[in-house]
Amino acid sequence: MSNKYKILIVEDEENILKFVTALFEANGYQALTANTAELGLLMFTSHMPDLIILDLGLPDFDGIQFIKAIRKDFLTPIIVLSARSGESDKVEALDTGANDYVTKPFGSAELLARVRTILRSSRHSCEEGKFPGGKFTSGCMVIDYDSRRIYLDDAEIKLTQTEFNILALLSEHCGKVLTYSAIIKEIWGYSDSGSIKKLQVNMANIRRKLMLKPGENKYISNELGIGYKMKNEND
Amino acid sequence: MNNNRKQLIHDIGITVFILIVYFLISLVIQNIFNIQSISPMFVLASFLVALFTNGYWFGIVAAIVSVLLVNYAFTFPYFVFNFTMVENLMSAIILIFVTIVTSTMTTEIKRQEEIKYQAEKEKTRANLLRSVSHDLRTPLTTIYGSASTIIENYDALSDEKKLDILNGIQNDSKWLVRMVENLLSITRVDSSNIKLIKNPVVIDELVDSALAKFKKNYPDCAVELSIPDDFVVISADAMLIEQVLLNLLENAVQHAKGMTRLMLKISVVDSKAVFEVIDNGCGIEKYKLKDIFTGYYKTDDEPSENQKRCMGIGLSVCEAIIRAHGGEISARNVKKGGMIFRFSLDLEEAENE
Repeated sequence: MSNKYKILIVEDEENILKFVTALFEANGYQALTANTAELGLLMFTSHMPDLIILDLGLPDFDGIQFIKAIRKDFLTPIIVLSARSGESDKVEALDTGANDYVTKPFGSAELLARVRTILRSSRHSCEEGKFPGGKFTSGCMVIDYDSRRIYLDDAEIKLTQTEFNILALLSEHCGKVLTYSAIIKEIWGYSDSGSIKKLQVNMANIRRKLMLKPGENKYISNELGIGYKMKNEND
Repeated sequence: MNNNRKQLIHDIGITVFILIVYFLISLVIQNIFNIQSISPMFVLASFLVALFTNGYWFGIVAAIVSVLLVNYAFTFPYFVFNFTMVENLMSAIILIFVTIVTSTMTTEIKRQEEIKYQAEKEKTRANLLRSVSHDLRTPLTTIYGSASTIIENYDALSDEKKLDILNGIQNDSKWLVRMVENLLSITRVDSSNIKLIKNPVVIDELVDSALAKFKKNYPDCAVELSIPDDFVVISADAMLIEQVLLNLLENAVQHAKGMTRLMLKISVVDSKAVFEVIDNGCGIEKYKLKDIFTGYYKTDDEPSENQKRCMGIGLSVCEAIIRAHGGEISARNVKKGGMIFRFSLDLEEAENE
């Protein structure tokens, strides 16, 4: 019983809180709830949950502040619940340290899948900072970090240095949405007006080389106007 | 503000232009035919000014200028101001009087037209609201009623029955979600003070995102895809264009009866990206084709009881979004059966770094 994952849900809308709690409990998680950010922080420090579901519009203080408060000392994954209203909130939350976002209204299957993906990858990366054996596997794709090679169905795919770096970065953060600016900072170290275009061209090349057809893209999800996310094909 | 100033400059221009033209014509006429009473010419000039400008003031100014001009140049004694002669004074008063009356009349007519236009707009809006509220009410009835049914008869209903009712709730909520997405889009596009957020959008990322969402809703419907191999970037509001693609695909699924193939085709023609959604279903009657994008607004004649899942506002939203992007959307029947919806958007301009 005690080895259940603990999930903290911070949400002020009572009905949403109720059904999300029921959903997690029914799926073998332990759910903790808080209806204000303050209570959320208190619950966090006393229970040390494995994952946080956070509504951005809380009554007492801004969800972004909440993420900052957590990220000062902890890497606990955070999934943000947000309204559709534009990409800028999502980008801000992700750049502050949120791992993923789910747009309201959302389906139960969608939320569960994201939680599973994030818990799986955070378990790995917390241990070594890398995946077991220095390899990342998703479906038929294998990324070998040591030899810097990528295999699809055991056949090697030739990527440029930059393309490999981007793919490796996404896979190390599997399940986390990386914003354009986060990727650019990590890969090139600096950004200028053409950076996003440069990234988009590289991504287009990666997709072509991995033969990812639009609509059947198993590995990388395109978050329009926000960034990219490595999907875990085992979901 | 800017518009007002433009209108003002426009009005001043017209006033000055008409007066000068009439002055010149009158000069010519006077010199050639030696006619004494030129003042009717200026009544006409003032009348025209009143007709083509806004408000009373330009008409009145034109009338006063006309009086002065007629007095100065075209009545005896020529090229001198003279208000002592009774007939000059009389014609001046008549001219001003006529002008004020015509100005008042034309202004009134313009005001009436404006009121009529606003009323028409209001009517369209009311129609849309009425249809939307109706469309919202139907699924809400299912959700509210189903949930209460289960709560109040929990033990009396079999598990199977309960699951059945719950499925209805889920389906109707999904429908509501899409409806609200559309409404949000249309309010964003319709209100003139909110600008589109145009960004460079990579076509295959856009299509990938749209198809992924489409598959979530319709897992059994395969979409054939034809997309350029090149790296194509358009300048658009990604979320809204994604909505257009989803609406068009969904429209085909729900209305193209007998459809076996659904195709999304994207090509680059000149400096535009052309999107086509093609199905081989039943097509649509010709007389309905004309109103296919606005049809929703005009459901007066048909009671919309059976229309809940009919047009929806999906296609109207598509049209509004594409129009806001400065593009055009069209629909036509294919000879072999089925329909093509087509719209085009500007490619992103080449970078000037």
